[in-house]
Amino acid sequence: MSILSLSHISLTIGEHRILSDVSCSVDQGEIVGLIGPNGSGKTTLFNVISGFLAPTHGTMHLQGSDITNISSSRRAQMGIGRVFQNFGIFREMTLEENVLVALEALPKADRMQRGNLRKIAGETLEMVGLASHAKQKAGSLSGGQMRLLEIARTLMSGKEVFLLDEPTAGVSPKMTQQVADLILQLQKQGKTVLVVEHDLPFISHVCDRVIVMDTGKVALTGKPEDVKKSKELRELYFGADPTT
Amino acid sequence: MNFLLHIIATIAMGAPNILGFNMLFGRGKILHFGPLGVSIVAAYATFLVVMATGSYPLGIVCGLAATCSISAFFAWLSLRLDADGLGVMSIAMHLGLLAVVLNWSSLTRGALGIPRVPRLPFLDSTGDFALLGTCVAALWAWMLWQVDRGTFGRKLIALSEHEWHAKSLGIDRSRVHMLAFMIAGIGSLLGVLQYHQYLYLVHPSDFGFPAFIFFVTVVVAGGPGSVRGCVVSLILLSLLREGLRFVPMSPDVLGPLRLILFGAILFVAVWLRRDTLFPKQRTV
Repeated sequence: MSILSLSHISLTIGEHRILSDVSCSVDQGEIVGLIGPNGSGKTTLFNVISGFLAPTHGTMHLQGSDITNISSSRRAQMGIGRVFQNFGIFREMTLEENVLVALEALPKADRMQRGNLRKIAGETLEMVGLASHAKQKAGSLSGGQMRLLEIARTLMSGKEVFLLDEPTAGVSPKMTQQVADLILQLQKQGKTVLVVEHDLPFISHVCDRVIVMDTGKVALTGKPEDVKKSKELRELYFGADPTT
Repeated sequence: MNFLLHIIATIAMGAPNILGFNMLFGRGKILHFGPLGVSIVAAYATFLVVMATGSYPLGIVCGLAATCSISAFFAWLSLRLDADGLGVMSIAMHLGLLAVVLNWSSLTRGALGIPRVPRLPFLDSTGDFALLGTCVAALWAWMLWQVDRGTFGRKLIALSEHEWHAKSLGIDRSRVHMLAFMIAGIGSLLGVLQYHQYLYLVHPSDFGFPAFIFFVTVVVAGGPGSVRGCVVSLILLSLLREGLRFVPMSPDVLGPLRLILFGAILFVAVWLRRDTLFPKQRTV
């Protein structure tokens, strides 16, 4: 069953066409990789889905509801979570406050159901091995720790669809494995994940399906093993098929 | 003794407004430079009604309605303008409102101000004002400290650090800004309600640019966003301002000298806090 669907999404800024007639749908519990060369429109597509950029044409549906004209904060409350490319944590806050602020932004009914938010924040930090830093300013963490904190915070906020923008950028191989485990854990809970990555082995490891983007369009879609073998992908990444 | 009570009263009566401004400008990093514009509306709406009807409850209700309206307008501007645009626009609004009260003489008596403002029955002496002002300021500071450390404070910090990141968590910027401006507006009203009774006068010169410079200096020197720092800074700078009265100089020299001194303090404070004062622009 499709949880998120995009229909003929286009975005023009000034005279530049950034996205062109992008249509796709993602099923509940699916992990979909979004790959493509720099400037192909992957992050812009995430910005459109999150509600930070309004599409020039097209519509978007989340769990059957039209979200095309809904604000970004409302979309987040409806179940879209986002992990940013450049660490979406708040550096002036402590680690505990970083998790708390996400939990406190949930709809009231959800907050009431969860009970003690401070306890949940502690458990979240425990999950990623950062509990001992709970009272420390988040700005003092390493890049990898910031990434783990951000992902853990997003996971605990109980969203239905997760948009992860290069979650392994600047992260050590050990932490990359931790990130992969967290994503697979989400799938077990029936959550849906869209992940933008340049790390193809990572994509092959975690994704059920891959969408390849080029110049704002969907160039290719399929299972990771099929896409990896495709001539089009090699041409996109290397300029020419290196096997020929 | 009376002078000491006068100093306590003036510090305490200024605290609610400055603490509200500290929440917006210091904690929220919202470049709102019109807190005295809100004070103008709060003061004139309240005391014009009080003078016309003789009823304080009615005056306070009208003052509250006018304060909420102008605060909502500033909040609306903050949601629609970039940080620098809001800074310029809020200064323009402040000056515009000041021009209105100065020139709409048939209503406001222009540069003459509103004299013979009546006092509430329980406010008679300087000591009464010092006591009430201190109680109100302490309660207000405690309340804002709680707000700052709570859910609302965290949302405000999140928005000040990165709007998109905060929104992606579900934080509603419109609601947070609207509430923050309302709280600051009520702080203005609490201040003007006491101060102009104390003086028996509402005068346009109380809302001029020097007063605004004093506000900014207090917030920046105290550590933007810090309730405790802001209170300490308000006390010290008020003592300095009042202490200058005893310098044996002619008022013609002392007035400009005071402005230069506060300008210099502001310059040094901004220089020292330049890394934390203004919102850092981060890209996605």
